Amino acid sequence: MSLIVDKISKAFGDVKVFEQISFTVEPSEIVCIKGKSGEGKTTLLRCMNNLETVDSGSILINGLDISKEKDNSRVGQEIGLVFQGYNLFPHLSVMENLRIAPVFLKKMTNEEIDERARELIDTLEINGKEDMYPYQLSGGQKQRVAIARACMLDPSVLCFDEPTSALDYETTKQISIIIRRLAATGMSIVIVTHDEQFVKEIAERVIVLKDQGIIEIDRVEL
Amino acid sequence: MKILNMLVPMTIEGLKVTLGVFLVTLVFAIPLAVVVALLRRSNNRAISGVTATYIYIMRGTPLLLQLMFIFFGFHFVPVIGYAFSRFQAIYIAFILNYTAYFAEIFRGGINSIDLGQYEAAKVLGMSKPFTFIKVILPQVIKNVLPAIGNEVITLVKDTSLVYILGASDILKAAKSVSNVYSAFSPYVMIALVYLAIVAVLTKLLSNIERRYNYYR
Repeated sequence: MSLIVDKISKAFGDVKVFEQISFTVEPSEIVCIKGKSGEGKTTLLRCMNNLETVDSGSILINGLDISKEKDNSRVGQEIGLVFQGYNLFPHLSVMENLRIAPVFLKKMTNEEIDERARELIDTLEINGKEDMYPYQLSGGQKQRVAIARACMLDPSVLCFDEPTSALDYETTKQISIIIRRLAATGMSIVIVTHDEQFVKEIAERVIVLKDQGIIEIDRVEL
Repeated sequence: MKILNMLVPMTIEGLKVTLGVFLVTLVFAIPLAVVVALLRRSNNRAISGVTATYIYIMRGTPLLLQLMFIFFGFHFVPVIGYAFSRFQAIYIAFILNYTAYFAEIFRGGINSIDLGQYEAAKVLGMSKPFTFIKVILPQVIKNVLPAIGNEVITLVKDTSLVYILGASDILKAAKSVSNVYSAFSPYVMIALVYLAIVAVLTKLLSNIERRYNYYR
């Protein structure tokens, strides 16, 4: 089991976002999280990435409790997040965006970092963009760079926040192919989205957030 | 000609003071300002309060008064009772004053950086100091360059305040020569020297800004 979310609750002041929710994600599985605006989809993703603290419960990835871990570098190596707005570093080239985290973590040699970056550039089909800056890229290209950057540390779980919100139909299809390709390497994928078409196309399982809890877990017939 | 013969060597000597105060202030005030800006943003109320008070005093009183206070008034302060030399007082006053102004510019620059940049760095496992140095600061520098440039040019002109402590800068040179010959022309010539210094700085600053224009 790659990801175990166990009875987590979160409130902002008196406003409960979700209460005692639990689910698991297997390696190579693609899970979509749906729900209306304000049901806590993004907050859940943020909790899973330690950008918000949970009030109770635990989030386990390969035995590491993300919800109690203070060391960002340990969390970053277990779970990655592709933000809705990508949040690329605008002053760094594509290659530098990819290199910055592993250079800091010093878990790989420079040669290994370059090799990993080249591999991801090929997988994500962003060849020729290595020296470009984020402002020179299209929305779809920025997203691929954001995915590549998140994959540099080879996390077990990769999360996406509304990955198709700013993309056209063709680019959405290409992103689906890329996500499947990543899942095939053993990565667990968690996607927050309200794009029904995209859910139908990519989800192996759908989790619906409603009324502070999970009301549905459907296994999608492929 | 007589005027020039007297003015040129005095101006060269005065330039050492003017440019010396200018460079020492920049070299110390800019890095210190980054630290002060961070302290001002601290969640610790005592730290941010002390920093805010320091900035308030430095921005709320004239630099001329600060120069006088540090040179003439400091040895009256109980416990400290230390008298600074003329140039120690000049450097301290200028550095303290400009650090406060630069710090507020940097604080504005840091506040302008999108929260998403910090969050992206956090989920990538980077530490706070590394994030600040490699992700935030380079973007802050680009954002604050025009405002810093403004202050740098003001600093050139503010160096003329050192006359109050008897230091001989280029304006003092003009005043001395003007007194000897009862002429106004030394002031015109020194105005041209200030304009030349500012022209060089303007070019330098625009080159630096252009260097940071490689991204948007």
